[in-house]
Amino acid sequence: MTPAASPGRAAAGTGSGSELERADIQGLLAAGYGHLPRARYVLLGITAADRARRWLGTTAEVLTTAASGRSTWAANLALTASGLARLGLSDAALGQFPDELITGMTTPHRSRILGDVDDAAPGHWRWGGPATAAVDAIVLLYGEDDDALDEVGRRVLGDVEASGLDVVHTLETAELSDREHFGFRDGISQPVVDGLRRASAGPVADDGSPTVAAGEFVLGYRNGYGRLTGRPLVAAADDAASLLPADVEGSGGHDLGRNGSYLVFRQLHQDVAAFRAYVAAASAAPDGRPDPGAARLLAARMVGRWPSGAPLVQTPDADDPRLGDVNDFAYHDDDEAGLRCPLGAHVRRANPRDMLGPDAGSATAVELADRHRLLRRGRGYGPPLPDDDAAEEPGVERGLHFICCNANIARQFEFVSHTWLGNPRFAGLYDDRDPLVGVSTAEGTTTFTEQARPLRRRHVDVPRFVTVRGGAYTFLPGIRALRYLASLGPEEAQP
Amino acid sequence: MTDQCAVTFVAEVEPERLAALRTVLATMAEDPAGNAVVPFGRLDGVHFGRLLVLEATPDLTGKGIPALLVMMDDVDGSADRHVRQLAEVEGLDQVLSACRGYPRAPNTAARLAFLQAGLQPSAATYINTVGRSLDQVRAEIGLRHALETMLDEHRAEWAALPARRIRELVRDRVGADPALAWALHPMPAQPLGWRARRLADLVAVPAAGVVLSPVIALGAPVYAALLRWHERTDKAPLLRPDHAHVAELAATEDRFAHNQFSAIGLLKAGRFRRWTTMGALFVLDWAMRHFFARGSLAKVDTIHFARWTFFDDKRRVLFASNYDGSLESYMDDFIDKVAWGLNLVFSNGQGYPETAWLLCRGAKDERAFKGYLRTRQVPTQVWYSAYPELTAVNIANNAAIRAGLSGHLDEAGATAWLARL
Repeated sequence: MTPAASPGRAAAGTGSGSELERADIQGLLAAGYGHLPRARYVLLGITAADRARRWLGTTAEVLTTAASGRSTWAANLALTASGLARLGLSDAALGQFPDELITGMTTPHRSRILGDVDDAAPGHWRWGGPATAAVDAIVLLYGEDDDALDEVGRRVLGDVEASGLDVVHTLETAELSDREHFGFRDGISQPVVDGLRRASAGPVADDGSPTVAAGEFVLGYRNGYGRLTGRPLVAAADDAASLLPADVEGSGGHDLGRNGSYLVFRQLHQDVAAFRAYVAAASAAPDGRPDPGAARLLAARMVGRWPSGAPLVQTPDADDPRLGDVNDFAYHDDDEAGLRCPLGAHVRRANPRDMLGPDAGSATAVELADRHRLLRRGRGYGPPLPDDDAAEEPGVERGLHFICCNANIARQFEFVSHTWLGNPRFAGLYDDRDPLVGVSTAEGTTTFTEQARPLRRRHVDVPRFVTVRGGAYTFLPGIRALRYLASLGPEEAQP
Repeated sequence: MTDQCAVTFVAEVEPERLAALRTVLATMAEDPAGNAVVPFGRLDGVHFGRLLVLEATPDLTGKGIPALLVMMDDVDGSADRHVRQLAEVEGLDQVLSACRGYPRAPNTAARLAFLQAGLQPSAATYINTVGRSLDQVRAEIGLRHALETMLDEHRAEWAALPARRIRELVRDRVGADPALAWALHPMPAQPLGWRARRLADLVAVPAAGVVLSPVIALGAPVYAALLRWHERTDKAPLLRPDHAHVAELAATEDRFAHNQFSAIGLLKAGRFRRWTTMGALFVLDWAMRHFFARGSLAKVDTIHFARWTFFDDKRRVLFASNYDGSLESYMDDFIDKVAWGLNLVFSNGQGYPETAWLLCRGAKDERAFKGYLRTRQVPTQVWYSAYPELTAVNIANNAAIRAGLSGHLDEAGATAWLARL
């Protein structure tokens, strides 16, 4: 199990832009590691900063980068705000990170906009909440099989205690599958990142969709507005060894953010039995007899795609596996009114494409929607719930470790969660939240409307199927930024 | 139909009463509609109301501007009507007693005089849909709920009928229900006199432009040269709000379908920027009265009410709005859809990102623009909305549902009408 990939070597160039410095970019931004079906996420606390910094310095040279060749394993590392502080990053530098990272995912305001209330409130979380141990770092490990996964775990984590670390929580994943637990193909629509595509990139779809500016996902490059997203800079004096590249905008500071990203992690529990039971009951014939065909249709309408992935806007009446990979479609011309794919369906909310005004149906509408894209890198956990009649076994957890990368958490992840998925007034509706992931009202239900002519059908009692169990906003630094953080000592941390 | 107006009241706060005032405002904030101080929900025709305290601050020359209490209401009818009703509210003394010059033993007449003395006209006002009263909005909310329930109950028996037939069945039931029968009548059109005045106002500004055209032609090159000189030399620092400020603002945000936004900033020094702001707001106000009075401000259909008001001898401008969705989506709409309109006014404010020719660039710099807005935004201590669950698009749809109950509709028209439900 010798790692085949060479350690990431940072590119020397600090030019303004278009050529991505692959060797400085963590590999997760370039690929979801589809060839590595096993994965494990290890949540770490830092107990001794000096030893943790030494560990970080070693680890930085082992991590997979966007320049690494294909290997039997992969490893990446993200840090929370508390982790950055414990490593000794100065308050001045920390203060330059965006508000989302610094104040974190669990403020009362964030709980409102993310829908983390009632059972999903941070107080109930298994990790990342106010009642659980602080998560300072997340190590993301991937292997081609269990042996490779264990091997990379030993290689990266080694003797945890001797490294000044403490394992707060370990999140196992299910064998990689393209089906999520409700039974639908997931991860079909991914933004194609300008400059990050390559033949070996794996799951980056090659469907002809227009690319999205690299700066939407990788800090230090031009974003959808043709500008650079805000980045944490450190004073040149605080980086005497010039481990970091100079700020390309010419401020004279050194760029701690360049080639980094923000990784959002949410553990989403899925209540599969409740989903199946609801869909069966809501689609039953007037005399109460189950109608499996109607149940499949209702479930597909809530999702917006059939189990194969085929979009309802192209095949509204029955699944067509030949269309399972289709991602080159729009809504406005084919289905402005939501008659094929309901306006409030999950995929319409998660990526409205060209459907939102004032210029719906135009390239402008797509361009505006593309300012809110997410690079999804999550994996499922827990065993699948086999047949349609099965009840949830007590104590068995299943769901999705939702992971996404973006350069601006407020404009991307939070906007998608709040303005699209969780918004009852999305697309002119009144009381409809995302029927799969959007329920967060005190009543615990939402309305889901199937548009139809002449009369729509309202389901006013859709319960919560997905509950957040933990989460964190993290910084996915570039390799040079990790080396810089590893070099911080007590003397550098103080003015 | 009733016109709407923006009422702004400003008074100086006695420094030693500031803490007590904040306590009173905090009590009000717990129940903006029904609190014992100013129960906005029991006043007539208040769509939105807010109270806030502007901290004492130095101006550009270092001269002090005292702390101010600001009350801003969006109401039906005239400002005079609203202020007279406010003057009857004894609880208001708890707020006004913190203000300089408020009588020790106030009565209705004293309250009225004090309120009238503190009224500030708005330099520009935006009203999403001119003429739509709170009574109308509320009645149409009830109508929609009744119709949605009716369609839920009868869906199985009606789903196979033609849309026209369904509409007739709905109309029959609405007409038979004394609580709903009003809805079969459309909103009356504005009276002739109102429309004539409006037309005169519409024509007056271009007419004045024609009369003054020789002056404008002579002055324009000079103005343009001055403008470019100012734009090139004005400082445009990259502003970053601190985390504590953002946390204080966010604490009250995203509780309802809409949010409030209050921001105040110093104008850049000199008469050029002051006169440009006055001219820009004059034209904007006229344009909003005539071209943006039916559901959207340029391409933005999420703003209910907005106003721009000069403060402190035109040294500062206050902007206040009630908008749907999150601040993030509001700011994105500004950048993507109406950057020119924001540049026109706000580029005259200290710290705004660099513009070109008054309308270009500026807000297009996302990071600088969002930093500017958050830095200029101030906490609003009390905010009231009469319909917290509705967006402007929802309200317009409700009005269209009611409008579709009257008159003739063919099958296509009836189908389109049913699609609103």
